[in-house]
Amino acid sequence: MIEKLKASVTKEILLLIRDKTGLAVLFIMPMVLIFVMTLIQDSAFRSMNENGIPVVFVNEDMDSLGFSIQRGLQDNPLCKINNGDPSIIYTSEQANQAVSKGEFILGIIVPANATKSIQNHVKKMVENVLNPESVANDNASEIVEIKILIDPVANKSFVNSIVSNIREFISELKMQLMFETFSNEMSQFLPSDTEKPDNNYKQTQIVKFQEVYATNKAEEIKPNAVQHNVPAWSVFAVFFIVLPLTAGIIKEKGEGSIFRIYTMPTPYALVLTGKILVYVVICLIQFILMFCVGLFLLPLLGLPILNLGESIAGIFIVCIASAFAATGFGVMVGTLARTEPQGAIMGSLSVLLLSALGGIWVPSYIMPDLMQKISAFSPLNWGLAGFYELFLRNGGPADVILPSLKLFIFFVLTLSIAIFYNKYKRSS
Amino acid sequence: MNGLNLVIEQNEIFGLLGPNGAGKTTTISMLCGLIQPSSGEVLINGENLHHHAEKLKAIIGIVPQDIALYPTLTARENLNFFGNMYGIHGKKLKEVREEWLEKLGLTDAANRQVGTYSGGMKRRVNLIAGILHRPKILFLDEPTVGVDVHSRTVIIEHLKEINKTGTTILYTSHHLQEAENFCTHIAIMDYGNIIMKGTPAELLANFKGGNTLEHLFLDLTDRNLRDS
Repeated sequence: MIEKLKASVTKEILLLIRDKTGLAVLFIMPMVLIFVMTLIQDSAFRSMNENGIPVVFVNEDMDSLGFSIQRGLQDNPLCKINNGDPSIIYTSEQANQAVSKGEFILGIIVPANATKSIQNHVKKMVENVLNPESVANDNASEIVEIKILIDPVANKSFVNSIVSNIREFISELKMQLMFETFSNEMSQFLPSDTEKPDNNYKQTQIVKFQEVYATNKAEEIKPNAVQHNVPAWSVFAVFFIVLPLTAGIIKEKGEGSIFRIYTMPTPYALVLTGKILVYVVICLIQFILMFCVGLFLLPLLGLPILNLGESIAGIFIVCIASAFAATGFGVMVGTLARTEPQGAIMGSLSVLLLSALGGIWVPSYIMPDLMQKISAFSPLNWGLAGFYELFLRNGGPADVILPSLKLFIFFVLTLSIAIFYNKYKRSS
Repeated sequence: MNGLNLVIEQNEIFGLLGPNGAGKTTTISMLCGLIQPSSGEVLINGENLHHHAEKLKAIIGIVPQDIALYPTLTARENLNFFGNMYGIHGKKLKEVREEWLEKLGLTDAANRQVGTYSGGMKRRVNLIAGILHRPKILFLDEPTVGVDVHSRTVIIEHLKEINKTGTTILYTSHHLQEAENFCTHIAIMDYGNIIMKGTPAELLANFKGGNTLEHLFLDLTDRNLRDS
């Protein structure tokens, strides 16, 4: 039996070696994919950080609030105000047109007399508290409306995160202005200079935020484009082994060699085992090559080095489980498809679909509830979850057992479907 | 198939002749275990093929009508794989492989990919792949179709040699003259049924319409064009 298995493995290796295009698809394409996708995502992020988002700023206030916001935006590396030249003055109408044409992603308009309105509002509040009888019963307070213009073409989630940043920043400035006005107003009602309130807004900042990436391990792994992209695209690329595997199985059917095999005193499952072993090893080599891109090639281009975490055993478990799942899926598609074009379409579309559902293109946590539930059934999602556990949460073998087990069950299921379908086709 | 009942004795060269679509390939496919008959059974040495598939497949060899080889592998690589699948390995496999490559004039081309071979060369490798393990029963489904006279003569000569060493042969062909000379027994079939069977001499003895197998064949099967 071992001799037969060896012969089957040798035959598969020889068939692969002779197929130069197939080899390129198996080894070069995945590396190029990782390289390009990581570089694009990192450069997009870096470009945003380095160049800033084009923002048009209109200061109709020309007072404390307007100038503070303008200074704050200029100091913020996320923003590039008025094409880098704040001396250019835009009217609100011009700003509106510029944003609608896509010249700027965001526009911020601070209305005229915004500072005065805030000051008046605070003044009335203080007077109302300290001397309620002297103040006319005027509850009508002026609302300061800072307008944020948004380019409708800009990515919504991206704009939302920027807008929330800017809103938080403007709110803080408003609070600061109100605090200063409040301090000044209070000082007029206090008898001596020594009892005047300390006009130091920063001292009121008693709540601070610290961002820490949650992990159970002592060493923290910082998430970045490399940590996210290398495992995601590796799982995706490994599943694309479905294409050459499917083509190989369909060729065997078309060339007739499979019919000779059926008449031989060798179970088809053994011939299939030889094929599976070869493709599992290829998947493992693919993983090694793609991780090497993250470890050695991407850092040469200034990207962060891929941090593999602390568990080599965990990585091996997820890699081999993903490899078996991808191979089982390929065997199933190759068995179900009748022609090579049919297999190529079935294979590529199903992998694209499973990858989209599995959170390779868009993180599954931002998907609608229903899609998140469906996503939990994608083998690519299980592979990705396993790698994220290792590469982002610094987990160990115990943390990847569940996703790996799901991948092995998927392999057994797809292989069983292939074998039973094959038996059914031969007996019908 | 329609109530096919066929007994082939040991060491016969049994020719199964019939027009396209008569059921020759289907018969061979059932006899070698490739497809299962919807009813009835295939007995080899009194044992049911379906129940003892592994054991009986080891003594069967098949040379299919289509070239059943890997075109990107060389002849040696193809024969190594199929030989191993039949259960012969190592030195023994090498000896038998080289012996047949030599006999069929393929030694010099044996390290070339089969896809680069001529039709006749492919047929010869296709034949070797089915006989490497010295089968007791050999199924030949039109083994000489599309082959030039030289290759055909070599193939038939070696098949006769194999038969002499104790291999029973079941053979289908459209070459009626070749069948008449090669086979010890012949059955003419059509529409999934055996119409007539016997030795070539017996078949022709009772036929008044001519003195060749071709005349008999045309007489038994209608002369209309057939498509499979």
